[in-house]
Amino acid sequence: MKQEEFFSSRWSLIIATIGIAVGTGNIWRFSRIVAQNGGGSFLIPWLIFLLVWSVPLIIAEFAIGKSTRFGPVGAIAKTAGRQFGWMGAFIVFVSTAIMFYYSVVTGWCLRYFISAISGDLFSTTKHLEYWTKFSSSYQPLLYHFISMVFVAFVIYRGVSKGIEKVTKFMVPSLLIILLILFVRAVTLPNAIEGIKYFFTPHLDIILNYKVWLNALTQNAWDTGAGWGLILTYAVYMKKKEDISLNAALIGFGNNSVSLLAGITIFSTVFALSTSNAMQQISQAGPANTGLTFIYLPLLFSKISSHYIVNVIFASLFFIALFFAAVTSLMSMVELTTRTLIDFGIKRGKAIIIVASLGFLLGIPSAIDLKFLTNQDWVWGVGLIISGAFISFSIIRYGVDKFRKEIINGYGSDVKIGKWYNFIIGFLIPVQVVVLVSWWLISSVSWDPEWWNPFHAANAGTCIFQWGIVLLTFILLNKFMVNQTLKQSN
Amino acid sequence: MNFITIITMLIVVGTVWGGMIFFLTRAVKYEKIKEENGEVEN
Repeated sequence: MKQEEFFSSRWSLIIATIGIAVGTGNIWRFSRIVAQNGGGSFLIPWLIFLLVWSVPLIIAEFAIGKSTRFGPVGAIAKTAGRQFGWMGAFIVFVSTAIMFYYSVVTGWCLRYFISAISGDLFSTTKHLEYWTKFSSSYQPLLYHFISMVFVAFVIYRGVSKGIEKVTKFMVPSLLIILLILFVRAVTLPNAIEGIKYFFTPHLDIILNYKVWLNALTQNAWDTGAGWGLILTYAVYMKKKEDISLNAALIGFGNNSVSLLAGITIFSTVFALSTSNAMQQISQAGPANTGLTFIYLPLLFSKISSHYIVNVIFASLFFIALFFAAVTSLMSMVELTTRTLIDFGIKRGKAIIIVASLGFLLGIPSAIDLKFLTNQDWVWGVGLIISGAFISFSIIRYGVDKFRKEIINGYGSDVKIGKWYNFIIGFLIPVQVVVLVSWWLISSVSWDPEWWNPFHAANAGTCIFQWGIVLLTFILLNKFMVNQTLKQSN
Repeated sequence: MNFITIITMLIVVGTVWGGMIFFLTRAVKYEKIKEENGEVEN
């Protein structure tokens, strides 16, 4: 199929792809995980996994998407072989399943921005009650609908008039806002205590294997590497575009934002907390909303003695969060839409299908936080398997051949060496096995009925849901691959 | 702030933010070269 849509420049591609990577995970999950894993003790392994998980997989996704010009189903079928198209379908399904509840989360961010800018957020100091009242009302559903409609419209407009235009505004805006908040935060009295905690390593903690596994998990969930989203945007890369240098920019760019956000949050919490700051950052709360939607609003009310200043800073924070969420949501919607386009459905019709399904299947997450938590658990761990399938595809193709012909092929600014073969061919699969095993085995310890598929977060619910999806796609493999690849004839 | 904290901060910030700036400047440089060479668009 002749590729007709492209990003207009390297910078548009990079900004859009940073939009994929930078999401709520950078701003809210990262700080909580750093706090729970000993501050500086976490940052060292986090840095290592940027280099041995995130960047190599981003390189892989750019390369597969650019060379095949298909979404994940066709891409995996062309790279690994037609009999493995089901792996691509699983990758699509995982990101699509995440899209359903991520749209709900995007809606929360939008609502809290509106609450902040209208001053409603400061009408109370009882933020747990405020959150509970909001989350049990009709409003999550309404804002989920608004988020999905907005993103659907952007995706309908296509790559240059839709994705590029919106990300060119939102991503730089998000970065500027984070910088403003960072400067304010580090200049607060006592902020230095937060920065000290953030960067101080402890030998006993750094030797704890759980810290390393949490660092790998954070990289896996945060950068978007291995999700198929970057692969999808890579379909719209021009032939002359480099792969490796762009991938490094995305990986380091994403982790730069996490660092900026983490220092900001730690500084703010340590400066303004009257009680145990670490406890406040570490708290998960319902569906892991504790820090962002319950504790930070309380802190924003204390950032200054001037009400309007507090409103401004709270509004800036939540609009940044919304921009981060929506640019990631856009890529998830585009991935599913791209898959339907590859099947032969026109973009306009495809987006109607995706947006309708996205809204309808997101309703359970909008009205039941326990369901959202379950889906976040199942498909969050499922993402690791998506990464494994991408790595497997390259192994099937031939890692060294892939590196020489595709990654280091036409358009490459830098040539990557044989170290890449070792990472993709050995290290990534090892990390996958270790991580998936660890998460599933851990779930046995926190749930005695670990086999029960109807519990929120255990091994049973993962195996049950993954099993249904995998079996379905394996059975439909021939049809899906034939339907996708015939479009290129 | 003690010595080990400062070292950790320098390593982490230097690698992440320093790496970002390094790769960005390289990308700008290579993009200029491509433009000067008039490389094929698609």
